[in-house]
Amino acid sequence: MGKRADRLLPAAVLAAVLTLGLAWAGPQSAQATTRVTVTGEVIDTWCRVTAIMFAEGSAHYQCAVWCAIGGIPVSIMDEDENVYVILRVGEDDVSAANPTIARIQAHQVTVEGDLIERDGVNYLLVNRIADDQGIVNVTHEDVGIQPFGK
Amino acid sequence: MRHLSLIILALALAHAQPALAANELGIDGEQPSQFEARAVDVLCELTGDCPQDCGAGTRQMGLLTDDGVLILVAKSSTLFAGGVLDLVAWCNRRVEVDGLLIDAEVTRFYMVQRLREPGTEKWTRARAFSHSWARANKQKNANRWFRKDPAIRALIEEFGPVGIPGAKIPVE
Repeated sequence: MGKRADRLLPAAVLAAVLTLGLAWAGPQSAQATTRVTVTGEVIDTWCRVTAIMFAEGSAHYQCAVWCAIGGIPVSIMDEDENVYVILRVGEDDVSAANPTIARIQAHQVTVEGDLIERDGVNYLLVNRIADDQGIVNVTHEDVGIQPFGK
Repeated sequence: MRHLSLIILALALAHAQPALAANELGIDGEQPSQFEARAVDVLCELTGDCPQDCGAGTRQMGLLTDDGVLILVAKSSTLFAGGVLDLVAWCNRRVEVDGLLIDAEVTRFYMVQRLREPGTEKWTRARAFSHSWARANKQKNANRWFRKDPAIRALIEEFGPVGIPGAKIPVE
């Protein structure tokens, strides 16, 4: 092996190690966040977005609880129909089947948090629930309990 | 921006195999999609907060395509249940999935219906929640699990079926 190869070999090994290391590591850095205040209805993301059934307010409360405990993402939909998927509330990073989040299904809330936009989805890290008005979208009087009734 | 992400998503799925088996539901914006990706903990992917086990079923899971597109998995084949338990078994590993990509006006996500090891033949139905629920609740199966689940029953008992204690419930 010549002198040139002797000089290049350690660099090549280092480059290979770095490449492999980067390939196996998790995300290298956090994505940029934007501090936001969001006001809207806490929703069952699947039923509301797909419109597969009536999924607004008190009429859908029961099903929204089923879906939240079933691990379907819970979101907030604001009056412009922007959807914010909740990934964390304060220090609580349980975003699947979290009974605490299920307790506020269908509530009208205002939250402060950090927004991360990625590939067409708004992800929200809630820092604080600033206001919780409970359920104000009373729909069951018109359409009953959706789906399946009581 | 939305158009850009749509293009990126289309490119990411360009190599997807034709979906022959996904059960279509007739949802606006649904697209049967079978592809390979890495199963990831979404919070980890976005923030760098990464428990080794992807949160062991407590965190929302996603699919990270080879082109770097993150797809939230919102639903599985179990009624009223998400795909977290189906995907967490593949935490940070490649998996082939079959299901529906829902590209709605307001957001997008994936319904996983089947999974398998890439390069193998045998599919597993995305019903991990059912199996887990039945084991945890000592039931033979998870039929109508949502009517029997203790956490759900406690919430409905406390707040009523419309979430407003004492509300008059219309006769069906």
